[in-house]
Amino acid sequence: MAIRKTFLAASAFAALGAQADGYVIAHLTVNVAPEEVRQIFTGNMQFSGARRLVPVDNGAVQGDFLYKVVRMDPDRYNAVWTRKAFREGVAPPPVLLSDQEVMDFVRRTPGAIGYVGTNPGSANVILKY
Amino acid sequence: MGGEKLNITRQSACLGLAGILLAGPALADDAARIRELEKKLERSMQRIDELSAKVQRLEQGATAAAPAADQEARVEALERRVGQLGDGISRRVLEDNTLLRGFADVGAGYSGENNPSFGRGRKGFGVGNLDLYLTPQIGERVRSLVELNFEVGEDGHTDADLERAQLGYAFSDAATVWLGRFHTPYGYWNTAYHHGAQLQTSLSRPRFLDFEDRGGILPAHTVGTWLSGSVPAAAGQFGYDLYGGNAQRIETDAGRRTLNPMAWGRRDSAYTAGFNAWLEPGAVDGLRLGLHGLRSTIEDDAAAPNRTRLAMVGGYGVYQANHWEVLAEYFQFGNRDLSGGSGLHRSRAGYAQAGYAWGAVTPYARLESARLDQRDSYFLSQYYGRSYRRGVLGLRYDLDPRAALKFEFANTDQRDLGAANDRYNEARIQYSIRF
Repeated sequence: MAIRKTFLAASAFAALGAQADGYVIAHLTVNVAPEEVRQIFTGNMQFSGARRLVPVDNGAVQGDFLYKVVRMDPDRYNAVWTRKAFREGVAPPPVLLSDQEVMDFVRRTPGAIGYVGTNPGSANVILKY
Repeated sequence: MGGEKLNITRQSACLGLAGILLAGPALADDAARIRELEKKLERSMQRIDELSAKVQRLEQGATAAAPAADQEARVEALERRVGQLGDGISRRVLEDNTLLRGFADVGAGYSGENNPSFGRGRKGFGVGNLDLYLTPQIGERVRSLVELNFEVGEDGHTDADLERAQLGYAFSDAATVWLGRFHTPYGYWNTAYHHGAQLQTSLSRPRFLDFEDRGGILPAHTVGTWLSGSVPAAAGQFGYDLYGGNAQRIETDAGRRTLNPMAWGRRDSAYTAGFNAWLEPGAVDGLRLGLHGLRSTIEDDAAAPNRTRLAMVGGYGVYQANHWEVLAEYFQFGNRDLSGGSGLHRSRAGYAQAGYAWGAVTPYARLESARLDQRDSYFLSQYYGRSYRRGVLGLRYDLDPRAALKFEFANTDQRDLGAANDRYNEARIQYSIRF
């Protein structure tokens, strides 16, 4: 019985985790539309007005973000950026390792845009996915 | 406050030094340097927090004894410094992405080619390319791309080529201007893959699109200027390339006449100009359709030089999604003889390739053909300017997302050799990586 309860609790926790929302957040200097996020993370949009955008990946929730927002698997995403770098000399986004690192980076870096798996509080939220 | 300034200056200097070290040639220590830089970045962030806290305390009137105007000035100065630190971090993020990237491939093969023009095909093991490229991020708008390629020639010697040396400035997403030597942006393959053997699904390139000294009949490199960009359009994403530069020249190198990009300029004024326009329709993810054209005046190094007005137009379609990769390109030539008065000569070349990825395994097939008018001195002068047809079957196995093992079988029908026309088979294996 105890094992079953533990299993149910673990399943519920896993289900909650799977349904957890993600948030695309940006520095206060960034003003982009939600539908532009995919273009930014595939390198097709590198400027917002006069401001150079600085996209940053979040290794902790990258798969979920790529699947839901960029609509690519990580291998194709990496291939897109490799070709982009090779053809156009554009560097791929740096990868940070946690929500906290991304929130700190975005808060302090003009032009930055990233994504997190937890509620970012008062951050500039561009898209909830 | 003076001590704080000194500390901030030292930290900035440390971070600057870390940036220079990271961008330096000793790339084997990148991981350690990145960790060190992260630590220093973290210390800077803590410093920003401290300064922010001070700003808050000042705003809350903790120094009420100070005159209001003086206090206001100090708060503004602190805010400026915090802002500058933020901008500094932003710039460092851009600059610190200067990593050495590249491609390498080795392999083995058998070629049954045997004819008077091209001789006997090669057999045995071989070294392909070692291709290194850098994309230093210098500030927000300055772009740079430098590529150095090492390859073993048929004489067994290793040659180093400055493949690309292009410096650019990005005005916006819609306009980046480059100056220098670049991959001529015709069609799709030449700029998408070029020396990146691991990037392309197949082991070989279509022969007519190969490098100038490996079978190619088109100017794969241009020295000049290139304007490119892309913008969202109603139907999807629209992109373009406009370029111009020194006209290439057909010159004899190691007994073979091939195209030379004239990287050191020309004594006369002959130029190349071209365009490429493409659309990625929003309705079909992974599809790109494009049109391109190129015009140039090409002469060879004969005692009485043959001059040709090269005029090429073409179209291409690329689909890369849902495990499929389908590529098709077509080139139509309408070259005019400027020195011999033989008039206009029409030729054409094209290929279609399809592959489907089942996990790590991708079988693929390609058909390619070039029908080149031998009365056209542009083709006749070039060592590889002969018509041919080729069928290719291959299998790619991705050992890792950055390493591929490829097997390829090709059957070539070599034409325009008169009675010596040659039909032969080739089998090759290649191990390629990118890093």
